[in-house]
Amino acid sequence: MATERHLRILDEGRGDYLKVDPDGFRDWVGTKNRAMTPKLMTAAEAVSRFVADGDYITWECNYLQRGPSAVLREIVRQKKRRLWACGKFTWVAVALLVDAGCVDRADMGFFMGGPGLNRAVLEGRLKVWEYSNVVMTNRVRAGAMGLSFVQVRSLGGTTNFPHSAAKLIEDPYTGEPTVIVPALNPDVAIIHVHQADVYGNARIFGAGISDVDSAMASKKVVISTEEIIDTEDIRHNPGLTKIPFYAVDAVVHQPFGAYPGECPGHYASDSEHVGEVFTAMNRDKLGAYLQKWIYAYDSEEEMLEKAVGRVRLAELERRSTRKEGFRP
Amino acid sequence: MTSRIGSLPPLLPTDGPWKSAPQAASFAEREFQVAITTRLIEDQKNYWVAAGGGPMYSVLLARRLYAPNALYVTEDGIVGADPVLPLDPVMTVVAEKPSYRALQWTTMNGIGDHCAVGYMDVGILNALQIDPYGNINSTWVGEYPTKGRRVNGPGGADTIAAQCRRVILMTDHQKRKFVPKVDFISSPGFLDGSPGARERAGLPRNTGPWVVVTNWALFDFEEKTHRMRLRGIAPFITVDRVLAEMSFEPLVADTLETLDVPTEQEVNIFRAEMDTGGQYSDARGGWVVREEDRWKLAAA
Repeated sequence: MATERHLRILDEGRGDYLKVDPDGFRDWVGTKNRAMTPKLMTAAEAVSRFVADGDYITWECNYLQRGPSAVLREIVRQKKRRLWACGKFTWVAVALLVDAGCVDRADMGFFMGGPGLNRAVLEGRLKVWEYSNVVMTNRVRAGAMGLSFVQVRSLGGTTNFPHSAAKLIEDPYTGEPTVIVPALNPDVAIIHVHQADVYGNARIFGAGISDVDSAMASKKVVISTEEIIDTEDIRHNPGLTKIPFYAVDAVVHQPFGAYPGECPGHYASDSEHVGEVFTAMNRDKLGAYLQKWIYAYDSEEEMLEKAVGRVRLAELERRSTRKEGFRP
Repeated sequence: MTSRIGSLPPLLPTDGPWKSAPQAASFAEREFQVAITTRLIEDQKNYWVAAGGGPMYSVLLARRLYAPNALYVTEDGIVGADPVLPLDPVMTVVAEKPSYRALQWTTMNGIGDHCAVGYMDVGILNALQIDPYGNINSTWVGEYPTKGRRVNGPGGADTIAAQCRRVILMTDHQKRKFVPKVDFISSPGFLDGSPGARERAGLPRNTGPWVVVTNWALFDFEEKTHRMRLRGIAPFITVDRVLAEMSFEPLVADTLETLDVPTEQEVNIFRAEMDTGGQYSDARGGWVVREEDRWKLAAA
C-alpha cells in the first residue's frame, strides 16, 4: 500500500470567496431546460426572473465597450440588492452599481473608483477582495471546466495574495511553490452579443474578455443581442456559434444594448455620454447620473427614444466605419 | 546608499537612427519619456502593453519608425493589430479602431495563456507608485484598507509583471511615486529583492522588471541586489535634481548615459497620430526648449 502523503500549503490568503461546489453546479445544470424553446423577453423580465438579491454577478466587457449596459441599467432600475460583483476589466460599472446600492461585495480585477466608491469602501458598505483581471478570468474558466481550483503563475508575492482566497502550495508534480485560486461559478452572467437566435445560440465578433467561459460557468445566463437571427442561419455556419442555447436562460433583443459604449460593427460610443459618466464618477455626482439616465425612464427603449433620440443613434451608427470582421 | 558601479553595456542602441536625425525644436517632458521607451522597443519581438497612455503610444511610435515588426497585444485579446489612429479616448480596447487589421482576436484568457507559456517577450506598464525593487502599486494610496484612497487595481498588470520575460515600467518623475515601500504591491517586481524571491512566490523564472523610464531619467536593476539603478538622464536635468525627486536613493551607475532628446520626426508623428489633443503630454510635466545651446526645462 502506498504511503499517505500530504499536500503542503505554504501560505494562504484570508479573503472570503464564493463557495466552491462543482458538483452542486452540475446539479444545477442538470435542472436547466434542454428544449429548444424560445427565450425572448424584455430586459425587465430577464432581470426580474434571473437576477436575485444576493447573487454573485459577472458581466462581460464593460459599460463602455460591448458590455450589457442596458441590462446593467435595468438591474439598477429594479433596485437589486447585495450583489457580489466580478470586477474585472470594467471602468465605471462597479461604481454605478455601488452608488445605486446594488453591490456590496466585489472581487477586484480592474475597476475605477472615485469619491463615492471610496467612501463605500471606508464605511464598510463595499467589501473588496483583491485579484487581477486574468486571475479572475482564469477562475471563471476553471468554473467552466467543472473544476474547483486552478493554478496561476501570478498573484504570488503581491499584496493581493493575503486579501484573496489564493493559496501558495508545493506543486505536487514539480515540487516548486505555485499559486492556486478557487474556481468561480457565478450565479448569473450578463453578456451582450452581436447576434443570437431566439433560443440563445449566440455569435460574438471581435476580441473579448471571457464571454464563453462566463456563459458556461454561470448558473443563470442572460444574453442581450443587437440582432435576432434565424436558427437556419446558425445551422449554416455553426462555427460562428460561441455560446450554445442550452446554457442560456434569457434572450433580450436589445439594439443599442451596449450604449453609451461602442458595439464594434454596429455603432460607435457616445463620447459625450462617456465623458459625462466619468465626470459624474470623479466628482461624486453618480446619483444625478443614475436619476437622469436610469430612474427617469421605465425602460431602455424609452430612455433611448427620449434621452438620446433617433438622430443621435443614427449618427453613432454612421460613426461605425471599420466593420470588417464584425459581420459573418 | 549611492554606490558606484563599473561600466555597463548601454541600454539603448548606440547607433539608432535618432542619433543623426534632426532634433525637435521643443518638446513636452512626457514626449521625451515616450521617445526613450520607443527606442527600447525591438523589432520581431512580442509586446504586451497596458491599453492606453505611454505604453501603448510607445509601441505604436516604434512600429511607425524603428521596429515595424514589433507585435503588440492588449489584454482584451487583440493580437498584432494595425490600428486606425488616432484612437478615441478610452476606446483603446475591444473597439473597432484598435482592433483593425489584427492577426487574431482572442480573449483575455487567450492572451493570458500566450504570456504564461512565454510568447510575450516584453511588457510595458504604467506605475502609480514604485519601490526600489520595481514593485508597483495601482490599488491603494495610503494605509490599506482603512485610510486613504482606492484606485483602479492591477487590471492586467499583475500578469504582465509576473510572466513577461522582461518589463518596461513608465512613471512620472516625482517624489511621491518613487517610494521606499509601496502602499500595496499590485503587480510584482523583485519583491524583497532577495535571490529567488519571485520563484518562491510561484512566479516563472527569468522574469521581472527590466527598466524604468521617466520624463527625466532611465533606470535598470542591479543584477545581484535587484535594486533600481540610475543609468541615464535627460540633457535638461541634473543628477542632483533626479535624485532629489525620489523618496529613496537608487544605485547610480559609474557612467551615466545622456539620453537623446526627441527627434522632429518622433514628435511630429506622435502629435499627429497619437496624442492629437495633447491629452497625454499636457496632463503632467513641463515643456523643454533650447536656449543658448542648452536644453532648458520651463516651469510646468
